Amino acid sequence: MHLAKQLMAIPGVIAAGEYAYRGDRYTYEGGLTDEYARMASILCRANTLNASMQAEMFSSFAEHCGCRPLQGWVVRGKQVSVCAVGNFFCLLENRQGVLNDVMTVLRAKVGDISDDVMKVMYSKIGGDVTEQLV
Amino acid sequence: MELAKLMEVPGVMAAFTYTDKGDLTNQMIKEGNELTPQVLDLLAHTCVANMAVATMEARGWEALTGQKGFEPLQGFSLVGLDWTAVVNGNCGVVVKNRDADYEVAFAAISACAA
Repeated sequence: MHLAKQLMAIPGVIAAGEYAYRGDRYTYEGGLTDEYARMASILCRANTLNASMQAEMFSSFAEHCGCRPLQGWVVRGKQVSVCAVGNFFCLLENRQGVLNDVMTVLRAKVGDISDDVMKVMYSKIGGDVTEQLV
Repeated sequence: MELAKLMEVPGVMAAFTYTDKGDLTNQMIKEGNELTPQVLDLLAHTCVANMAVATMEARGWEALTGQKGFEPLQGFSLVGLDWTAVVNGNCGVVVKNRDADYEVAFAAISACAA
């Protein structure tokens, strides 16, 4: 089953989607319009890149600090939360147990990214990945 | 709330407090992990910045889409390979991913921030 459909099966999930690391392609399920899903994809990609850069910086203080490669992030709102792991995002209600269920599914299916997420993103853009990161 | 209370969160590796600018003010780190006060200080600065960005995005999203329920934000979490940082207000915890209970961590942080 596609991961977004799997997430949508969790009661309390409002929408879920997948975005390309380039940000110009996306798929989604649930309660968003196409335009809002496009905006959410861009927002999640930008935040993931930003957080990934931050994780890189942590490792300059402690090389094996356990923070990198970054897996994702969560923004907890008053009644609604957004989480992103890898190139998947999920919009959910703050009901008991929903966030834990969503993160369990996302981390099991997408998390523990074996490659550096920055390198993966750059590789999707093209060019010499190592050279671009030096 | 005392840091000792935050150290009761499942899977906790460290608990810390910080100023509005992100300067570390206090910390407790469990033995046997690579976290240092320097890492926590950078983490606190990062989280202050991320909370500001997330607030801007939440406000913009609510205005653009009409969808409510984000503001005021209750916290931000950075999910690393082995651990996750959860912050809100001037409090933060770092928990092991394999033992993490995100909802308990957010609740503990919100209680600390209150």
